[in-house]
Amino acid sequence: MKPAIRGIAVNTFRESARNKMFYLLVFFGILFALSSKLVSFLTLGDAMKVLKDTGLAAINFFCVLIAIFTGINLVYKEIEKKTVFNILSKPLSRDEFIAGKFLGLALTMLTALGAMAVIFFAFVAVSGGGFDLGILLYFFMLYLELLVIVAISLLFSSFTTPILSFIFTVSLYLIGQVMWTFNEFKDYLAIPLWRVFTQGLYYLLPNLHKFNIKNEVVMGTAIDPWSVLFSVLYALAYVLALLALTVLIFRRREFQ
Amino acid sequence: MTRRRWLAVAALSGLLLAAGMQQRYDSTVDYFGERSAFVSLPPGKTLRILSFGYRNLVADMLFIWSIQFYSTYNIRNRFDFIERVYDTITDITPEYKEPYIIGSLIMAHEAQDVPMALRLLDKGSRLNPGEWIFDHDAGFYCYKYLKDYTKAEEYYNRAAANPGAPVFIKRMKAHLVYLRDDPEVATRMWLDIYRSAEDTLTRDSAFNHLYQIKAETDLPLLRERIVEYQRRYRRLPAALSDLARAGLVREVPRDFSGNEYIYDPAVGTVTAQRIFRWKKR
Repeated sequence: MKPAIRGIAVNTFRESARNKMFYLLVFFGILFALSSKLVSFLTLGDAMKVLKDTGLAAINFFCVLIAIFTGINLVYKEIEKKTVFNILSKPLSRDEFIAGKFLGLALTMLTALGAMAVIFFAFVAVSGGGFDLGILLYFFMLYLELLVIVAISLLFSSFTTPILSFIFTVSLYLIGQVMWTFNEFKDYLAIPLWRVFTQGLYYLLPNLHKFNIKNEVVMGTAIDPWSVLFSVLYALAYVLALLALTVLIFRRREFQ
Repeated sequence: MTRRRWLAVAALSGLLLAAGMQQRYDSTVDYFGERSAFVSLPPGKTLRILSFGYRNLVADMLFIWSIQFYSTYNIRNRFDFIERVYDTITDITPEYKEPYIIGSLIMAHEAQDVPMALRLLDKGSRLNPGEWIFDHDAGFYCYKYLKDYTKAEEYYNRAAANPGAPVFIKRMKAHLVYLRDDPEVATRMWLDIYRSAEDTLTRDSAFNHLYQIKAETDLPLLRERIVEYQRRYRRLPAALSDLARAGLVREVPRDFSGNEYIYDPAVGTVTAQRIFRWKKR
């Protein structure tokens, strides 16, 4: 890795890690994950299932919040505070700046998710659930999902305000979770052009549903290794495409 | 008074006022009185979409809510939408077993609607191939509430066909055959269980059932032959072997343990050494 990119990445990580919001969200993620024990007391039958469902959902939710809140501010703040002038005046290209920002955010997400995952693993083991390898696979898939979200928020952060970035990123996140309905929806469309349009959107918008293997992991149903492999490749390709688009926009931006 | 004190007084007064209003509000609501409730739920598929990737959590929350709701006995119309509620939960996560089991239990036991419970269990069985518990529960409800032993046997047949089905399903099936008055087939089934038993519990259970079925077949025959003997010789037989000597039976049947049945020559009664009242219909 180029030293310039590494420098930006490390600084981005430090900056995110110093943010109070980051700690607050990690804290609440852990708190809600642990409080899944209380929810599991209320059910009848398999309490471990409810504990895992609630805990994983809490970790998922707070990690997505961290990804969005950290991502939407990153580039915008540099532009707003005019620190971008200082950075870009150094022997560093705009492409490297974006790559560094993304890698720093990816490291931040890894730290946040890692902290929550370790605590949750220990919690499940103490609660009698043992060491569930499926949960480890779920966290890996969640990390891929978070990388896509980070890339989306970084894209919006490069050309619009944090509020609009937040709205756009959340919208894309929600759409991404229900992309599986698009395939069914297009069959209801009578006009072929609409069907082509819907099909186009299906491939264009982020399909985040594939990373969500909570149900399979908790219910212990089989996970196709090929689908995992394709999801990994999808995430890498989609992140690459988003970063390229971000760089394209950022290159054209003029700072005043 | 300083500004800080004013603020403290204002905060305290506000809290007191709020507590007073809460008390007034409580006097208008009868929390524990009989009331009615209406449940409005979007269809399962819609909720699955609206859960935005958190469908397990939504199903869990709905299930936990349903347990609390159907345990609130002062809601008089609480069973009005029960089928819809459990259909929705099982539409969101068809693999979640507990809603089928608990839902059907509430339907059969509390709402006393066994056909509804069977519909839910049928759905569970259809959506979870290879799972025996739903057919087992359905069989039990047919046996316990409907007294429909043929239908119960069908369910137990389906349950027993699943690879992971426990041995007691086979026992339950044989018992149902016995209950629908087919002692010959029931004997064959119990003998099969008895011979292939791998544990004492199964073997003892099969033994007891075989003992019961044999006694239920032998005793009426012996009683009938004793009456015939008395009609023919104007006295009761001195021992059961008299029946064989008189040619009324080819040989005196013995119980499944190989022991003779207990005969009282003074009154002419014949009984088995062991009686299993718990197996009576």
